[in-house]
Amino acid sequence: MEAYLVAIAIVAAIYVLLALGLNLQYGLTGIINFGHVGFFCVGAYTAALLAEKGWPPLLSFSAAAALAMLAAWPMGLISLKLREDYFAIVSLGFSEVVRLVVTSEKWLTSGVQGITGIPKLFGGLATGLPNSLAVLAVLVAVNLLAIAAMRRIVTSPFGRTIEAIRDNEEAVKALGKDPAAFKIQVLMLGAALAGVAGAFYAHYIGYISPDQFIPLVTFQIWMAIIMGGVGRISGALAGTFILMLFLEGSRFLRDIMPFISEVEMASVRLGVVGLALVLFTLYRPTGLMGDFTRK
Amino acid sequence: MIPFIELALNGIVSGLVIGLAALSITLVFGVARFPNAATGDVMSLGAFAALAGASASGTLLIGGVFGIAVAAFVSLACYFLVFQKLSSRPPVASLLASIGVAFVIRAVMGVVFGHQQKVFDLPLARPWRVLDIRFHPTDLKISLAALATLVAVFLILHATPIGRRMRAVADDPSLARVSGISPRRIMVALWLLSGAVAGIAGILVGIKTVVTPEMGWDLLLPAFAAAIFGGIGHPVGAVVAGVILGIVQEVATPFVGFTYKIALSFAVLLAVLLIRPKGLFGTVAGAR
Amino acid sequence: MNLTRRTTLQSLAAAALAPALGGQAFAQGATFRIGALNPVTGAGSPYGSGMQKMILAAAEMVNAAGGAGGRKFEVFAEDTQTTPQAAVLAAKKLIEVNKVQAVVGTWSSGISLAVIPLTNDANIFLMNTSGAPALSVPPANAKGLSYRFQATNDRFGRAFAELCEKEGFKRPATMAFNNASGIGNTEGFKKAWEKKGGKVVANVVYEPNQTSYRAELQKVLAEKPDVIVTGSYLGDTTIILREWFQTGETTKWVIPAWAANPQLVKAIGNEAAEGLFAVDSISNEGSPAFSAYDAAYQKAMNQPGLSNVYAAMTWDMVVTLALAMEAAGPNADIAAINKKIREVANPDGAKVSTFAEGKEALKKGKINYEGASSVLDFDEFGDVTPDFSVSRVEKGEIKRKYLVKI
Repeated sequence: MEAYLVAIAIVAAIYVLLALGLNLQYGLTGIINFGHVGFFCVGAYTAALLAEKGWPPLLSFSAAAALAMLAAWPMGLISLKLREDYFAIVSLGFSEVVRLVVTSEKWLTSGVQGITGIPKLFGGLATGLPNSLAVLAVLVAVNLLAIAAMRRIVTSPFGRTIEAIRDNEEAVKALGKDPAAFKIQVLMLGAALAGVAGAFYAHYIGYISPDQFIPLVTFQIWMAIIMGGVGRISGALAGTFILMLFLEGSRFLRDIMPFISEVEMASVRLGVVGLALVLFTLYRPTGLMGDFTRK
Repeated sequence: MIPFIELALNGIVSGLVIGLAALSITLVFGVARFPNAATGDVMSLGAFAALAGASASGTLLIGGVFGIAVAAFVSLACYFLVFQKLSSRPPVASLLASIGVAFVIRAVMGVVFGHQQKVFDLPLARPWRVLDIRFHPTDLKISLAALATLVAVFLILHATPIGRRMRAVADDPSLARVSGISPRRIMVALWLLSGAVAGIAGILVGIKTVVTPEMGWDLLLPAFAAAIFGGIGHPVGAVVAGVILGIVQEVATPFVGFTYKIALSFAVLLAVLLIRPKGLFGTVAGAR
Repeated sequence: MNLTRRTTLQSLAAAALAPALGGQAFAQGATFRIGALNPVTGAGSPYGSGMQKMILAAAEMVNAAGGAGGRKFEVFAEDTQTTPQAAVLAAKKLIEVNKVQAVVGTWSSGISLAVIPLTNDANIFLMNTSGAPALSVPPANAKGLSYRFQATNDRFGRAFAELCEKEGFKRPATMAFNNASGIGNTEGFKKAWEKKGGKVVANVVYEPNQTSYRAELQKVLAEKPDVIVTGSYLGDTTIILREWFQTGETTKWVIPAWAANPQLVKAIGNEAAEGLFAVDSISNEGSPAFSAYDAAYQKAMNQPGLSNVYAAMTWDMVVTLALAMEAAGPNADIAAINKKIREVANPDGAKVSTFAEGKEALKKGKINYEGASSVLDFDEFGDVTPDFSVSRVEKGEIKRKYLVKI
């Protein structure tokens, strides 16, 4: 039982990293990034390919973060030029292009066959439960690091500036601060977190292929931060918890709701994600944890 | 040369269908001011309803009318249940909610109609050859239906009082309100019209390909691209942009390959947004 | 499948109450736990439920025959949702919570490739129905604990090549859906065809979910092929064949049977479908094992057993495993059972078709289980080589023409 719970915790921790990144972008700056899975994908492939070449994890994970940031940089430039809903469409397109590139460039990514046999982290040191616990411990540490960094950002002049950008960009400009640089930095930071999440994902699942990086992943993270609470770190945690509870819980849902056939379960899962998005947007736009920046 | 002409012809047909989806998006975008991601799933719903209607009544015509009606009604229901309540909030709220609505519609379709593909029962015909170029009878009918829809929408917008008010709201919402136009009636007309157009688009895609719950969502990105390319709120622009994208995608295939051609509409979208955010015919200054 | 867990619990309870066995000892030594990990939802959903039910049915049959090697099967069922991430979590649950000793019935290569590191770590069996060649060799099958009951994509390709040679085609071209299985089929064909000294005139790989495949078709047809071999699925095949028919060309088509089925014929009409070749790995029809499976499938799913080749494979998985356990004797560990799998399934030995029959025959000597899905002879990689059938569409009917052995 423990190992199963640890497995869920590991996946949840990976999702928290994704949610923290998105939360930073949307919750704090109002950037609507519908292409989060693209950065996740870049991180996963970078880590997997470098691991194949025998790079040590510390380097390959840094490279995953760096490449995801690099991919975010042009997106940041574009986001400056576009109204946020236009940027949303562009970012959705971006993640689809990332998927097409990893599908198409077989020489690098082996295309639709995917990359197999990605080694486990700490595989040489321990196996089984101890190994999973070690991975989880590192993930939790990385999450705590990210959270600490975000807390600092929120309370720093930088944080106050990005929130001001979200609330009133013109006023920030009038004060002589350049919102552009802030926006780009925030987008890149969020992408870096997604890249690291991707690296963990690749090493944990051990097999990656383009069809694991579809937009639905992005929207699941969106569901998490919208349910948990936009702009709040605890919101990202709570939202991810609910998301995992729902995704894994639906395994047991059939025991409670026998009238839903197995085949319908996939539709029901999708419908619940959709309904959560609609209802929270309508009735509780600040999410379960509220938005502490607007007390 | 002939292969190129045939590819271009094919691009026109695909483009007209995408253009209709873009038309539905641009109508809502122009007046309600947000990109409606549920458009694709309203399309699929229209196609499924038309199939059900056709098999119940025995004729495609009645089925088609039924499909269009269902799509229009569901579109209106979405407005009353969701989007009306969000009209005073930033467009982002409506956009997010529309994705939720899209998922819910698709989930319902999955449960009700299942995931097996369905097809419109139309006989296949061999092509006509003119100057050694192949024309396909089905394509011609699809194109005519798409063009007729465009003309009808154009007439509604320009020759009816409600249409003129719709355009007035699209041009300047606050001015329109001052001049005493009731936004509620306009919104009802708008969502009905947009839903009906999406329904027609869905039925045409269904006739051209196969009907599955995912088919509309899969076309969403090219449709968004066409709507923005054509200029938001500009119906003719949406269809023209759709056709241009269709032709570019088909004709460019020999050069970029079969995988990257999917990314072409995205590339065009990006280029348009960065170079000419108003789009081809746009009047709403608004990408930024 | 809410019944699964309950039925399992019930059968477990019933077994525990069996007077012959002491409660504690039974729980410790007398059960063998199987994880049924099937695509109940998602892309594999047309097959998943049937696969799961056949695992349960076969396990029940083994238990009714007194168990294997003194042990009774206990089945735990999970859904992969046909996505790797959900499959990994489900496999974790099966391995860690339910302590299964074999994971059976994974479908689609992506899922099997994602699950196999876990079963290897736990040193337990993985029995899959996936086609990707990567599953045969290390790192995936480094421990030799993975068995594949489905023909590899390569073998499908070889069957296509046999067909083309037999039908006298000279200029084949290929069209493949861009995923591991689609490309696997056409590349397997290309390899086999070129080995025969032939040349493939055009290869096109296309992306799914398009409104038209005319550009792809045009590229292929430009090379004037006499036959087009596909690695495709139902939806895209429907659109492609319609567009092909509307071009007025008269090329022949060779299509895997999961795409060339009655639904396809219905969707494109009898005229366009006339003369299409459908190729399928065939179940071991007419064999006693198949009749046993067919009866169980009819009972569970109310459909003919032929409609789900993967369910026949999962049936065979359980029977093969049970026979190997019987041969290995009481309380054999995984390694000992693994040594026996080829021994009970491959030739040289009395041919048997059911577990009960095999159990008897094992007392006398070696056996060779001839399965419901194929004759089940595993090569050194744990792969089987089933026979293939070639069918042709004639006046709207898909008629089986001949068998191809590769």
